[in-house]
Amino acid sequence: MSFRPIHSIRRALHAMTRGPYVAVVGMATIFVAVFATGLFAAVLGGAERLLQAWAGEVQLSVYLAPGADLEAAARAARAIAPGKGVEAVPAATALRRLAEALGDEARVLEGVGPGALPDAVEVRAPGISLAGARDLAARLRHGVPGAADVDYGNAWLETLERLVRRSKLAALVLFSALAVATAVLVSNTLRLAVFARRDEIEIMKLVGATDAFVSGPFLIEGLLQGLIGAAVAVGALLVAHAAVVPRLRAAIALADGLRLADTLPPPLLLGLVLGGGAVGLLGSALSVARTLRRVQE
Amino acid sequence: MIELFHVTKEYPGDGPALQDVSLEIEKGEFVFLTGASGAGKSTLLKLIFCEEAATSGQLLIFGKNVAKIRPSAIPFVRRNIGVVFQDFKLLSQRTVAENVALPLEVRGLADKEIRRKVKGLLRSVGLEHRGDKFPPSLSGGEQQRVAVARALVAEPALLLADEPTGNLDPDRTLEVMDLLYGANARGTTVVVATHDRTLLERYKKRVVVLERGRLLSDGDSIRRVASP
Repeated sequence: MSFRPIHSIRRALHAMTRGPYVAVVGMATIFVAVFATGLFAAVLGGAERLLQAWAGEVQLSVYLAPGADLEAAARAARAIAPGKGVEAVPAATALRRLAEALGDEARVLEGVGPGALPDAVEVRAPGISLAGARDLAARLRHGVPGAADVDYGNAWLETLERLVRRSKLAALVLFSALAVATAVLVSNTLRLAVFARRDEIEIMKLVGATDAFVSGPFLIEGLLQGLIGAAVAVGALLVAHAAVVPRLRAAIALADGLRLADTLPPPLLLGLVLGGGAVGLLGSALSVARTLRRVQE
Repeated sequence: MIELFHVTKEYPGDGPALQDVSLEIEKGEFVFLTGASGAGKSTLLKLIFCEEAATSGQLLIFGKNVAKIRPSAIPFVRRNIGVVFQDFKLLSQRTVAENVALPLEVRGLADKEIRRKVKGLLRSVGLEHRGDKFPPSLSGGEQQRVAVARALVAEPALLLADEPTGNLDPDRTLEVMDLLYGANARGTTVVVATHDRTLLERYKKRVVVLERGRLLSDGDSIRRVASP
């Protein structure tokens, strides 16, 4: 008789209830690892969502060279960006809007004539990605007759995009370091648990147990510890989300659109739980295999 | 059932624990293995039980050359062998009943069948009232009887016992020996390693004497021990 699932589950539960301390240490290790991983993923997910929200407010302004035909430019812009809000803004309108925006400070515009600002075509592109905005800007520059310059707030958007890209790289490095540290930590914790029951393994082998029969309960125990530790970590992440996001919304208007699905989407949560289980199973398998080898030597 | 041809066992850094031992034990025999401490009794049992490998020579168990048995097949050989270890090797985290049940669990018997057999065995070793206790709470003698019960519970073809009465008073010694005799009467081949001369004198059985790893004598009774 080799691996017997029911027997293994029963023995694993038995061992966990009789020696809860070791089981709790194993679960706590996996909890910390899964929580830290989930936290990184949630922060990155939230940052990406905020970036998309910023990008979603993008408005492209096509400034025309002096003497260019504003209506022809607007028609060309509509053809290039169908479905987008395209508006022809004469220089005088632009100046008036600027004065309105300046409010009490509008005095600084005294003496400035309508020729100070160029005619422009404004294109509203809500929900567009950064790459999309960049591409649209290039097409407008080349396709709109008389276009002198196209502005889509590229300076700060490019900076933000660079920041997120670097954060992703940093997170990847951190993830890798964390994954290695977690694997070592979990493996060592589970190795202690298996080592504490070295006698049991030896005696079971002596009464005719196969390696699969001996390993079964330890593997189930590792799997259960991983799943439980990860499930508790996921619960803690959800609690942390519920506590932090309302504060974030109060601080940043853009965070209004931040939903649970942006920071902790169900596939991520499922992945964390299954990942925790897999780490527990793998750590246990390595430890049992090592102990079995030593028993047989 | 057991055949040894010029078997030698050496441990690194030590002299040979067994030296050029040739021996044959037939199916259904009851054999005492005796000799002073360090004579090689336990080593011989370990070789038969596939816990150790011989350095040289050939050892056949159930007609199979032990050296040629694949490591993955050793558990299945062991299932035909019950062993009473000198240090009992009981699991302190499991109850007496669970310890006795271990060989049956390994064989995949149904829970009901396991409970029935364990109960019967515990009754026969006088421990039916101690089934739910843990080994550390038992006396040495009681632990030894648990070890005997575990070795017998699966009704093995071969029973190896290393000093099975070492911690028992005379009454309990007789009870344990009766258990071993009963198993032998049901067809189990029994090999008992002991240095207790009173056992050899009481039970007129084949006695194999080892001395410093060598086979000193192999005869039908204690008389051969006294005058090899």
